[in-house]
Amino acid sequence: MNPIRSAPTGLDNGQSLAEVQAENERLRSRITTLEEELVETQARANAAVARWQERAYWLDRWHVDLNALMRRRGAAEFRAGLRAFRAVTRLLRRTARRLRS
Amino acid sequence: MSGPADLRVSAVIPVRDGERYLEELLEALAREGVDEVLVIDSGSRDRSLQIARAAGVELLEIDPREFGHGRTRNLGAARTGGELICFLTQDATPLPGWLDAYREAFALDPKVGAAYGPHLPRPDTSPMIARELQEFFAGFSPDGRGGGAVIQRAGDPSFLSNVNACYARACWEEIGGFRELPYSEDQAFGADLLAAGWAKVYHPSAAVLHAHDYGPVEFMRRYFDEYRGLHESTGHVEPFGVLAGARAVRRAVAGDRRWMIERGLDAPARARWTARAAVHHGSRRVFSALGSRAERVPAPLRKRLSLEGRDEAHNGRARAPSSPPASLPAPTHIPKMRDHDGYDVAVRVWREGPASLLDPVPGMAERERLRIAMIVPSFRRGSGGHGTLMQILTRLERRGHVCSVWLHDFTGQHREEWPGVIRADMNDFFVPMRGPLYKGFDEWQGADVAIATGWQTVHPALMLDQCRARVYLVNDHEPDFYSASTERVLAQDTYRHDLHCIAASPWLRDLLIERYDAPADAFQLGVDHAVYAPLDGVSRQRDTVVYYARHATPRRAVPIGLMALAELHRRRPETRIVLFGDPGKPHSEFPYEHHGVLSPPQLARLYNEATVGLCLSLTNFSLMPKEMLACGLPCVELAGVSAESIFGADGPLELAPLEPHAIADSLQGLLEDRTRWEQRSRAGIEFVASHTWDHAAREVEAGLRHALRERERAIDEGAAPRLSKEGVR
Repeated sequence: MNPIRSAPTGLDNGQSLAEVQAENERLRSRITTLEEELVETQARANAAVARWQERAYWLDRWHVDLNALMRRRGAAEFRAGLRAFRAVTRLLRRTARRLRS
Repeated sequence: MSGPADLRVSAVIPVRDGERYLEELLEALAREGVDEVLVIDSGSRDRSLQIARAAGVELLEIDPREFGHGRTRNLGAARTGGELICFLTQDATPLPGWLDAYREAFALDPKVGAAYGPHLPRPDTSPMIARELQEFFAGFSPDGRGGGAVIQRAGDPSFLSNVNACYARACWEEIGGFRELPYSEDQAFGADLLAAGWAKVYHPSAAVLHAHDYGPVEFMRRYFDEYRGLHESTGHVEPFGVLAGARAVRRAVAGDRRWMIERGLDAPARARWTARAAVHHGSRRVFSALGSRAERVPAPLRKRLSLEGRDEAHNGRARAPSSPPASLPAPTHIPKMRDHDGYDVAVRVWREGPASLLDPVPGMAERERLRIAMIVPSFRRGSGGHGTLMQILTRLERRGHVCSVWLHDFTGQHREEWPGVIRADMNDFFVPMRGPLYKGFDEWQGADVAIATGWQTVHPALMLDQCRARVYLVNDHEPDFYSASTERVLAQDTYRHDLHCIAASPWLRDLLIERYDAPADAFQLGVDHAVYAPLDGVSRQRDTVVYYARHATPRRAVPIGLMALAELHRRRPETRIVLFGDPGKPHSEFPYEHHGVLSPPQLARLYNEATVGLCLSLTNFSLMPKEMLACGLPCVELAGVSAESIFGADGPLELAPLEPHAIADSLQGLLEDRTRWEQRSRAGIEFVASHTWDHAAREVEAGLRHALRERERAIDEGAAPRLSKEGVR
């Protein structure tokens, strides 16, 4: 028998039939809510993965794993160098803008 | 009688300008305890003679013109006295335990006539050569890794290498020594030895350090020489095909890269060696093929291609001294590899049974949104089955279900592709989906319904857990695609696991129920009416027959179709015949126009131009005739298979038995009887108007809910779900 449909009656514990039926109803309602939440969570997860697969198309096409790339020796230094270069160019641009204005 | 441990051992080393490794080689032989060492020098101009004399070994100097790989080694064997004769090249250095391993090899069986050991790369050996050596010799061990000594007898690989080999004098004498071949005298001896009833032993501990490392051009010329020698000694001709060669080179380079990554080579070194590897493997394919066909290459070019500057060439085995028994070509040793585990998973299902399903939740079959996971096999552009699946899946998405696609890459076709690319291709080739695509099942999350969609996907689907029901969307009776084979057996097996089938026609549903007792519903394939419809501005031409001649698919009965058209052409030579659906152009007894594989809009145009369509199917009915009818094109199909289950015996389709004259009669009737043609054309458009993909998706959805309901019912009744034929209709 389906364990959910044939839940223990609880009558032995001194509960009335009406109380047991109400408890069963409450449990069924809880299952329905949890199921709906599961479907909703799955829908969001699917959407997120699909969105990421679309965004990462070229990384996938070129077999680039950015996490693995950035874990490699020198990657952090290279990134720091880029950031420094970007900071300098921004500073220069800002200065030039100020000088022009 | 003395055992191998007491046998006297001689070592023979042919030398020419071998100073680089000769000293360490002679030291190693002294360390190993070889009783007698003979160095045969053929005109060294470096310190080789000096090194040999300093080591105190016997030295024999010969005229370089007298050198021959077989001849000189025979001379060495004759000039020494050991019961075991080891042959080494000047650049092979034995490793500790080398001689003990050879003694052990000869102790294995009195019929062991020769033994050989692996060539290990030196530290500076290029990755391509190092990997090749490692994998080549690993292939001789039963476990593919090294293992213990292996006895090889007649029928086993004849490989033997005088870079590092040891022979029983009795065997050498019985075989008559090495043949006088320009190359591969050892391979020829290996074949002769096995054919004469002797055995040989591969012993992984009889190892030497040795690797031929040349520049790219020297490598090419060396391969030319090697394969010319191999051809002359064994008759081997190296196969060559451009596409297959390119694929093999790509695989070899990828293997080298994996090998380099495993050994921690840094990125610049990997990049440098990858380029070298591509040149190496590419030139090897070309020059080995050329070498094994050297007798067809002009002599002056042959001389320039040879590293040894040799311009003569002989046909296979032409120079064998006697008429020795036929030998096998040199074996290709394939390292262990796994492309896919498609067959394994079926065996796992047989042994372990399917994964348990989750208990059903009351009312789940009626829930508005279901979690649906569709498992699909490998695909290509134009895969008809995948087109159907995606038409349905995208409509299930639109109906609010939470859908995902799981690719089971049974054929390994998508091995190199990452999921984002596979999903983009799927969306490009078929109808674009919104959900994600997963490659394999590592990220399996469970589902209300897991849908298997082809025989290759059923066993993996049976092993997926966290499912409430499993459904099998059956497009065709796939066992009929194969003759007696593993594939046929596995395809038949897919219907025997109580998956709830949703078949792509009533005929197929009935077949599944009657033949396999499988629970089954049916759905009708839809037509994309936005594409397949009567087109304005396209005028229908008189006397044109279009034939879906997909001869790559045997179930399309193309030979019968071609005979029918030949008969039609005999009766009506003026009829224009157009073949499409396959890039190949079949031979025929009539002239025809050929269109190859067309896109859906092109097909719609063709169907709007033609007078009669012809499409034969020996299994389940396909989309093609429906799409022809939707364009107002009357179509001839086979009677007595599956078409009647959809269209009836006298519906809009013209049905003919599987007989060329009868099919020609039907085609001729539609071409010549205008009233009949118009009636069929009108009836076809009306009939397929209701056959839409929306309708098909609704039928499939009903099937999914039916499967869930059956799960609930079965659990309630404490029985496995079974459906009677009447029960599912």
